[in-house]
Amino acid sequence: MDAISISAASGMKARMESLELLANNLANVETGGYKADREFYSLYTSLDASPDAQTGDRATLPVIESHWTDLAQGDFRATGNPLDFAIDGDGLFAVETPRGTRYTRNGNFRISSTGVLTTSDGSAVRAKGGGQIHVAADAPFEVKPDGTVRQGGQNTGQLELVGFAPGSINKEGSNYWNPLAGAARQPAKGSLLQGKLESSNVGGPESAVRLVAILRQFEMLQKAMSIGNDLNKRAIDEVARVQS
Amino acid sequence: MIRALYSAASGMTAQQLNIDNIANNLANANTAGYKSRRAQFQDLLYQNMVAPGSSAGQSTVVPTGLQLGLGTRASSNEIVFQQGDFSATSNPLDLVIQGRGFFQIKQASGQTAYTRAGGFHLDNTGSLVTSDGDQLQPQITIPPTAQAINIATDGTVSYTLPGQIQAQNAGQITLANFQNPAGLNSLGRSLYLPTDASGDATVGTPGGSEGIGTLQQGYLEQSNVSVVDEFINMITSQRAYEANSKVVKAADDMYSQVNNLTR
Repeated sequence: MDAISISAASGMKARMESLELLANNLANVETGGYKADREFYSLYTSLDASPDAQTGDRATLPVIESHWTDLAQGDFRATGNPLDFAIDGDGLFAVETPRGTRYTRNGNFRISSTGVLTTSDGSAVRAKGGGQIHVAADAPFEVKPDGTVRQGGQNTGQLELVGFAPGSINKEGSNYWNPLAGAARQPAKGSLLQGKLESSNVGGPESAVRLVAILRQFEMLQKAMSIGNDLNKRAIDEVARVQS
Repeated sequence: MIRALYSAASGMTAQQLNIDNIANNLANANTAGYKSRRAQFQDLLYQNMVAPGSSAGQSTVVPTGLQLGLGTRASSNEIVFQQGDFSATSNPLDLVIQGRGFFQIKQASGQTAYTRAGGFHLDNTGSLVTSDGDQLQPQITIPPTAQAINIATDGTVSYTLPGQIQAQNAGQITLANFQNPAGLNSLGRSLYLPTDASGDATVGTPGGSEGIGTLQQGYLEQSNVSVVDEFINMITSQRAYEANSKVVKAADDMYSQVNNLTR
């Protein structure tokens, strides 16, 4: 293939992946605590390719090398349910799942039949310094911005908020985040809000603009590829034609 | 690309379910004792295209990697046990629970179910029953000649007979409380059944323990559906559905362009 077609094909593939990221964002527009993923374009430099004889540049191709997650705050939605929590600022709830400790921004919690504060899939929410949060069902309880749980005028525990450096945690699905091996925990600076849930931070209008941009860029690349094809066709059909 | 189509489809399915849920809430906006349900969503699995930490060259590693999410799914629609408004009915057998408790109802099968709907009636034997004829537990019987039925905030039922000044005691209504009411199983007809998630019922007298609630005679608890909130949810859900359908269209357009590359 010629250089135009190769570059255009690589660009088209990257736009397809962009659309896949955007499709996932839009599918999760109502997922509580969801953070939007964005693509990160970069140039793929082939190490094997020989440099251009005149400029010395190596052949490069646009690819999506990685994604980054937009950790911007989602909107708060008041629910009036004392078991709904939102984090204002950075920080994640620590949850003890059967697979190990995971982290989440979705503060839609329950009280289990044994009186333990859990996520909607039944995994216990971790208290500061380990352990579980026990809540008696028959009395109202209050959670302070620092995570202290108060019931009947007494402190009964404190919810743990954990921070991580951006890029050191990965999404795992089911609203959970999984830290990479060796990710350092940082003190979280966020504060807790009771009776509120954090909405997804996927912006509708912004996503629409991105959708149009992806489509149009794809179209341009497709045109570029057609031009490359035309050039090839002409080279074959016309340049090599033997005049009779 | 196929991933984009399936992600968008999962988003549309989730929003459809959201609308189904909203429709049921709105349909029950006037059902006494109805508790609204709220749909919750989760992101699905992520596909690792480039694993984070994999080597990008001889001495560099990819810092974050490329993960593509595969859409969303509805995780639950929990029951929101917020207190509904009270409306005065002046019917002496209409009761509201000011608190978290539930009335205990004996179904025709003999199984005990729980309800917040407190519009009771008398059946032909004088027992307090729901509008479906299921008996309130513990059984309260009022003789046909009784006048001025009075139900105190602690559940004590009393009545006076004609020509008598002394009130007659007909028993005490007890309430059930659950550790996790959101885990109850909706049976329809405003009835709930306990599950492993909700825990077993703890029965107590109204006002006996904190939170179980007290009774108020002559009122009915309205549905706790906020019509305004439901409409707003409906608008956002509909727009989200639309946005996902646009992604399907975009993916389709891109596909057709790829297919048109070879003419």
